[in-house]
Amino acid sequence: MERNVLYAIVVAAIVIVSSAAAVYVLTGDDEPKEKYPVYFVTMGVSSMKGALASGEIDGFIAWEPFGSEAILEDLGEPLIWSGEIMPNHPCCVVVASTDYLELDLGGGLTGASMTSRFVKAHIEATSWMVDALDDKDSANYTLLVELGVQFTGKSEAIVESALDHMKYGYEMDQTFMEGITNFTEMFIVGGAISEDKLAIGGYEDVDDFVDQYTNETFLDAESAVQPSDVILNPDDPVRIGFLKSDIHELAQWVAQNTTVGGGAKSLFETYGVNVVNASAVGGYASGPEEMDKFAAGEVDIGYLGCAPAIQKHLNAQVHTVIVAQANSEGSAIVVEADAGIESIDDLQNKTIAVPSTGTIQFVLLKRAVNDEGLELKLKT
Amino acid sequence: MTNDPLKALNKKLKDNWTQYLLAVISIAVFIAAWHLYAAYLHENDSGYQGYIPYPLDVAEALVDSFRYEDPNLGLTMFDHIAASLERILLGFVIAIVIAVPLGLLMGTFRKADAVGRPIVELIRPIPPLAWIPIFIVVLGMLWGPVAIVALGIFFPVLLNVMFGVRSVEPTLMDAAKTLGANRSQMFLKVVLPFTTPYLMTGVKVGLGIGWMCIVAAEMVGNYGGGVGYFIKDTADVGAFEYMYAGMIVIGLLGILTTGVAGLIEGRLSRWMGMK
Repeated sequence: MERNVLYAIVVAAIVIVSSAAAVYVLTGDDEPKEKYPVYFVTMGVSSMKGALASGEIDGFIAWEPFGSEAILEDLGEPLIWSGEIMPNHPCCVVVASTDYLELDLGGGLTGASMTSRFVKAHIEATSWMVDALDDKDSANYTLLVELGVQFTGKSEAIVESALDHMKYGYEMDQTFMEGITNFTEMFIVGGAISEDKLAIGGYEDVDDFVDQYTNETFLDAESAVQPSDVILNPDDPVRIGFLKSDIHELAQWVAQNTTVGGGAKSLFETYGVNVVNASAVGGYASGPEEMDKFAAGEVDIGYLGCAPAIQKHLNAQVHTVIVAQANSEGSAIVVEADAGIESIDDLQNKTIAVPSTGTIQFVLLKRAVNDEGLELKLKT
Repeated sequence: MTNDPLKALNKKLKDNWTQYLLAVISIAVFIAAWHLYAAYLHENDSGYQGYIPYPLDVAEALVDSFRYEDPNLGLTMFDHIAASLERILLGFVIAIVIAVPLGLLMGTFRKADAVGRPIVELIRPIPPLAWIPIFIVVLGMLWGPVAIVALGIFFPVLLNVMFGVRSVEPTLMDAAKTLGANRSQMFLKVVLPFTTPYLMTGVKVGLGIGWMCIVAAEMVGNYGGGVGYFIKDTADVGAFEYMYAGMIVIGLLGILTTGVAGLIEGRLSRWMGMK
């Protein structure tokens, strides 16, 4: 009996060791040929086209219309649109300063009530854009393209191509919340946010943070907001922030335009809201910069990417909260035309420009590269 | 006047002690004021308290930046310092190689001065940072930032060398001439030694400007990181304690390089018989 047990143990040991060895050898054999990293550099989105043309980089990832611009000018071709990397990933959001929400403007007006009205105009503008995009023969589509040209300073063809790759939406639905949770977790794993910052901000965990950092009150109160005959805040305009030429944030431009509503009033004015551009130079260069302006108390409500909105709120305790979505997807990895780059795998040893490591675009590139089993490294 | 060397040393130490003490007190007061300001902002939840972290948190970040790789970049502070130093060194060499001969030429010959002066005066007031987008695209991300640094170092060196050449006392030249020195001897034995201290002043000023430029140059686009890149990167994600750590590193590197330049200056002037 004892002997049998001994045999059994010996046999089991041999089986385990040999199968482990087999697995090791087999996987060793299966090891694909050596993988090289994908390299990245950071530069402003407006410099990317030039750097691609000069051969300084092999590709870039940027928000629209910068991808479409390089594609239409035959400098680059799209490798992958961001929706293919992470379907319906959140991108730009509408963020309010919590200091503004608490502001008493007098006469029964508060920052919160003005934000409700602002969000209402944002909803209407977004719906108008979605409808316009649905019917390209409509006069509204023509107007939308015209507004896009005004806002971005790019040609009609570029704007139309960019619009084709846009998904506008205001709702903070399940997909949106999951996307925000996903991004936050990726920032913590990637080291952009250290875990103790959650506690410093008074959040129990990522879910608690996402729950508290997205305030749906204003979207929910939408039906109760009525048009106003007069401007309610003539002396205290809402100072709005947005990124220069970022077509993701077109809704505020649409809401500021007087022809969209068909009348003499803009959508903001229809709801009694007086707005003023917080940036003196027609928009901020990046989301991180806009968050700095929030911290400095120069912006009341702003459009920006959710990455900086999350990172700077958690890392630096900037007083902000997400009140609506602006768009999902809408970024692309664009690579040098005719360079034989047809898949993420072909990006090995190539250099891709990102706007900054604090952006959605960086996260998307990292995700795409890692999903392919490759490493993303800074170009040295 | 006493000749007792012990007493002299003692006196020197005493003098220096007050200086050391004052330096320590000055830094301590600075850090204390910083801490109080940070505490004030944090206690009141100002909304920008994250931008002014506590000095202790910055110290911790400083240590961590050397110990751990940044997960996104795969680099430690050592790598960033190496990258920045390499840029400074290359920029420095380029600036010296062009500025010194040019300065000697323009300082010596009126015609060379007439040719070079207008261009120099026109370009000099333009901040090197204004060239960044052009340099990055035209010269690329490797040489673009180096060129920015070179430009920053170039003008102080050039102007100081020119000034040095012009400041050579005519009596010295006359004396050398009377003693039978030819042109090249006069240049080597009179003009060059006389100009060296001015050159070194230019170098020290230039290095300071070089560090100021490197930060901005690395912020725009570069290969291989760098302390300036680190500062921009950490500021973008809002990790400001790390940003301050990067700033401290830049400050220390600046002191270090000008210190080295000062040492070389001392050696040179002793070697050339100026001191």
